[in-house]
Amino acid sequence: MGATLNCRGPIPFGATGRRAFLQTGLAGFASLSLPGILKLQQAKAAAGNANSEKKAVIMVWQPGGLSHVDSYDPKPEAGSDYSGPFKPIATKVNGLRFTELMPKQAALADKMVVLRSMRLTAGGHPAGSMQLLTGDPDTRDKPKPKYPDWMAVTNYMLAQKGPRQNPLPAYVGINPPLEYNGPAYLGDTYSPFVLSGDPNAPTFTVPNIGLTDADEVNRIGRRSTLRQKLDTLDRSFDHARELGALDDFESQAMGLLTSPQTKIAFDLNREPARVRDRYGRNAWGQQLLLARRLVEAGVDVLTTSLSGPLCGRVNNWDDHAVNHHVFDAMKFRSPVYDQAVSALIEDIYARGLDKRVLVVVTGEFGRTPKINYAASTGAGDASAPAGTSQPGRDHWPRGFSNIWAGGGIETGRFIGATDKRGEDSIERVSWAGDFLATIYHHLGIGYAKTFIKDFNGRPTPIVDHGKAIPELTS
Amino acid sequence: MPSQPSLNWSAIASVACVLGLGCPIGSTQAAERPVSFVNDVVPVLTKAGCNMGTCHAKAGGGQNGFQLSLLGFEPAEDFEHIVLEARGRRLFFANPDKSLLLLKAAGQVPHRGGVRLPVSSPGYAAVREWIRQGVPQDAANSPKLIGIEVDPKKGSLRRQATQQLKVTARYSDGSMRDVTDMALFESNDKALADVTESGLVKVLDLPGKVSVMVRYQTCVAVFNAAIPLGAPVPTLPPEKNFVDAAVFANLKDLGIPPSPVCDDATFLRRVTLDIAGRLPTEEEAKAFLADKSADKRDKWIDELLQSPDYADFFAGKWTALLKNRRDDESDTVSNFAFHAWVRDSLLSNKPYDQFVRELLAATGTVIGNPPVAWYKRVKEPKEQLEDVAQLFLGVRMQCAQCHHHPFERWSQDDYYSLAAFFSQVGRKPSGTRGEDLIFHKRGMATATNMKTRVALKPAAFGDSMLAIAPDEDPRLKLADWMKSPKNPFFAKVLVNRYWKHFFQRGLIEPEDDIRDSNPPSNPELLAALEKHFIDSKFDMKELVRVITRSNAYQLSSTPNKDNIGDRQNYSRYYPRRLSAEVMLDSIDQLASTQTDFPNLPAGTRAVALPDNSYNRTSPFLRVFGRPEGQSVCECERVQSSSLAQSLHMINAADIRAKLAHANGRAQNLANDPRPAEAKIKELYLVAFAREPRPEELSAALGYLNEPRMNAAGQKVDAQKAARENFQDLLWAMMTTKEFLFNH
Repeated sequence: MGATLNCRGPIPFGATGRRAFLQTGLAGFASLSLPGILKLQQAKAAAGNANSEKKAVIMVWQPGGLSHVDSYDPKPEAGSDYSGPFKPIATKVNGLRFTELMPKQAALADKMVVLRSMRLTAGGHPAGSMQLLTGDPDTRDKPKPKYPDWMAVTNYMLAQKGPRQNPLPAYVGINPPLEYNGPAYLGDTYSPFVLSGDPNAPTFTVPNIGLTDADEVNRIGRRSTLRQKLDTLDRSFDHARELGALDDFESQAMGLLTSPQTKIAFDLNREPARVRDRYGRNAWGQQLLLARRLVEAGVDVLTTSLSGPLCGRVNNWDDHAVNHHVFDAMKFRSPVYDQAVSALIEDIYARGLDKRVLVVVTGEFGRTPKINYAASTGAGDASAPAGTSQPGRDHWPRGFSNIWAGGGIETGRFIGATDKRGEDSIERVSWAGDFLATIYHHLGIGYAKTFIKDFNGRPTPIVDHGKAIPELTS
Repeated sequence: MPSQPSLNWSAIASVACVLGLGCPIGSTQAAERPVSFVNDVVPVLTKAGCNMGTCHAKAGGGQNGFQLSLLGFEPAEDFEHIVLEARGRRLFFANPDKSLLLLKAAGQVPHRGGVRLPVSSPGYAAVREWIRQGVPQDAANSPKLIGIEVDPKKGSLRRQATQQLKVTARYSDGSMRDVTDMALFESNDKALADVTESGLVKVLDLPGKVSVMVRYQTCVAVFNAAIPLGAPVPTLPPEKNFVDAAVFANLKDLGIPPSPVCDDATFLRRVTLDIAGRLPTEEEAKAFLADKSADKRDKWIDELLQSPDYADFFAGKWTALLKNRRDDESDTVSNFAFHAWVRDSLLSNKPYDQFVRELLAATGTVIGNPPVAWYKRVKEPKEQLEDVAQLFLGVRMQCAQCHHHPFERWSQDDYYSLAAFFSQVGRKPSGTRGEDLIFHKRGMATATNMKTRVALKPAAFGDSMLAIAPDEDPRLKLADWMKSPKNPFFAKVLVNRYWKHFFQRGLIEPEDDIRDSNPPSNPELLAALEKHFIDSKFDMKELVRVITRSNAYQLSSTPNKDNIGDRQNYSRYYPRRLSAEVMLDSIDQLASTQTDFPNLPAGTRAVALPDNSYNRTSPFLRVFGRPEGQSVCECERVQSSSLAQSLHMINAADIRAKLAHANGRAQNLANDPRPAEAKIKELYLVAFAREPRPEELSAALGYLNEPRMNAAGQKVDAQKAARENFQDLLWAMMTTKEFLFNH
């Protein structure tokens, strides 16, 4: 078979193992795309890795881009054309200041690292997202990513290791970023298991997990038993174990659908009220709580996007003057944001997940430090009356901040810096490749030596230029 | 044939090692042999992996500012980077061992690439000696590498055996050198054989054909090995045509006994899925199974080839490869027109060379001449040449845009010479938004090599065309060149692509990567197919016919004790999961339902969809891997399984709706007064083109007759139970491997 034998698949540069592959359980049908032997090599390599404890990453996404100077990188001395109205406040870390919009995180700054020197070259949402999440250097906006994002790559790499033991999927997105990123040539197999909707809503349900109707559960079980009886195709040809892989996925799907264990993992009602309150009884708070819950239950990659009405009128962080009054919008959304993010970080440490789980909070870029003005349309929340000239900030990839916590990293510090106006990263400049390498490093993926073949058979590195940021690695 | 440019096919067909290397060895005959940078140093760096894509290769950007040409293809540039750049800080003449180059390579100072050249290695010694001699630069008249040979070139190896390869380089001064230590080795099928860095081939357990590509500098050589199983092959199925002769001869050589020819039901389902992209209907199955005539299989193949279903199915395959993609609403008209053109071409059995010519040399507007749409999708000459090379010639030229092709003889000049054919494609706005009028721009066709800045005339893989007048469309010359019976690529890639369609594995894999270093598993068969295709005047239906009529195609998928490990020699049929579209149509066929696609007539089958836009509205197609028309490679289509697919089959709304449809088969069977046995038999004929076996019949009957209680312990209403039971039976059947696979 090997229908796609040479079309994709990591190329082994490492040790060689062999032989027993005929008996080895393989991850997926994708096993076909790669001789079993390669997988075995990888499994061996992974097993030999000192960091063999399974790691996880939660990425909290600010779609549209958070204004760094109004949050984690205040520039009160930059002048009124630049500085917004928000006062800097001290944090728990000496010399580190946030704006007053982030009091809860300020009080928790010893549990995080602020990276203030991200730098990209793309000015549009698609290209910016693709740069940061896939490492594509292209500055043009494309409808679809050319390279797979780190989440899909991770999902793919995990699948190569063998059948998944945990009934939960490896990669889950709770209202995840999907528009400008994706699995590209890895194929939709490696897309996230998506939950959408407001987890704070009383009616929130997750489709395809934990069916509640006992009759329905019985029926699914009953007809599966029938299928087993009718599934009579001679399997002796199943050398590459593709039928076996299909069975594995089917039992995983049945598990998700019917097992009480997965239902519990998705059930926020099992969290004590005070925990739910701590995160905030709103969509973002409960998204992050659900993220923590799922990662705790064994999900490896979790992404969640903070979008929707809590952002203000245009449902994202894209605070152009024509969209939002940037300062009103920031004021509008910050309490919810600050509460949810600080709760997640606090909780990760409180529950002892801080070694295993790396939390990163970022958007695709920052926002123009220099304020500009345009007329408000007046619509929606956090908007000035129609026709009023209102301040906004545009896209800004040259310097922006993201925050990191958990992952066993040494927290309570800030690294990198932008210039005095927050315009350019000038110290410890970090590029998309460094960002990706840092995440892969935590996940135990050898980013410097992993290549995946694209549709043309070109071995494509998962990180082309970039090193894990030393201060963000354990 | 009209006047043709004179073609130099022999130059193309021979393994060549061309690229003249820039700056060769010092000619002094002093007592000490001067170290040649080109012949002694660069190979060391290549072998050590210094100039790999992610390390210091310029193509990959070059880590930490130290850039080398990819795989050492440009030694003159490498000399500059090592010796002159960074103010010479990489070398230290007073004490060569303290040169940064060596300190880093030997890992004596922190080096992210690790230890590449241990101090004790011969490679280290060579570089060290070169520095000690004061980094001599190669003189213009110094020996140049002109070729490499691998010894042995081919062999028959037993399973578990090993074979040491020896690589000899030949130089322009007639000298030879053993470069085994410095050569790079790569097996084309690591499940069959592996090769060590020092060229020791280690055969594993599986029988088949394997080759090892040997690279040294710009040269490539190949070691081909047959790994026989050596089992007795007492009987072979009858040979129906040349396909059988070649397949069975190979099996005999390798000692792999084939499985027997499959039964009628299996054949009917298999061939109908493969040619028409659908299941046989209940009536077709009944009629075929009852037919006693000896040639019923051949007749059925002909019937399928005459049917519009054949054209629908293959049009879906071709339009995806030709990137018939809807990025915008305004693409709709041209996508429909293009799809219809492809479908009509297939239906009328337009000769393949003509089909390609109409596409390649299209002019006009989409409405007047639909193949123009290809130029809408594939806009840049670079993309045009790359797609044409890969799709129609099986040559992946993408690499050669920026550097010499790593496994091939293709250089950047070859790349840009091919681009020159597309340099005179003119466009201007047509009356319709988003649609260009394509025309031939009068003028001399050239394309500029990005690196040398030399303007190159059109040439196809080293074959220059006779002067192309400014009035002549160079694309027509390219089409002429392609269809010549002597062209070594054009027919080969098509027959290989179609072979793979029916056998799941190309004679060359991947199917669109034809190179000397990637030989076919059965060269005689490939050559015979090529000849047959050319002799038939590029008749695509005839190609399908000759393939599917063969007993090789009709072998059972059930292995015997000997051929179970064969995945390459077609000793049995290799089952494959149905594609997304075919699976959706098959489910609809089984459930007697339809899938509605926006703005298309009710009942349109998924295989007949004109473009990728329907993937957005059909989660099924997306989840099961229907391609988006992004790539010219068939590998964009994913036929592997996933969790999402399993969840979809168990619980997705569309599947549930089909099962529960008011006019669907489950509902109809529940209301049908016939005895249950007859209904189960009907289901089996539709799903599997066969009747149920007794144990299947009894399992299904048992299910239908079992009394059902709800969770509260009450008896389920009989009508509801009957309805649900039939839904469940349908679901159970459509999720069996027998249904999901073509086998």
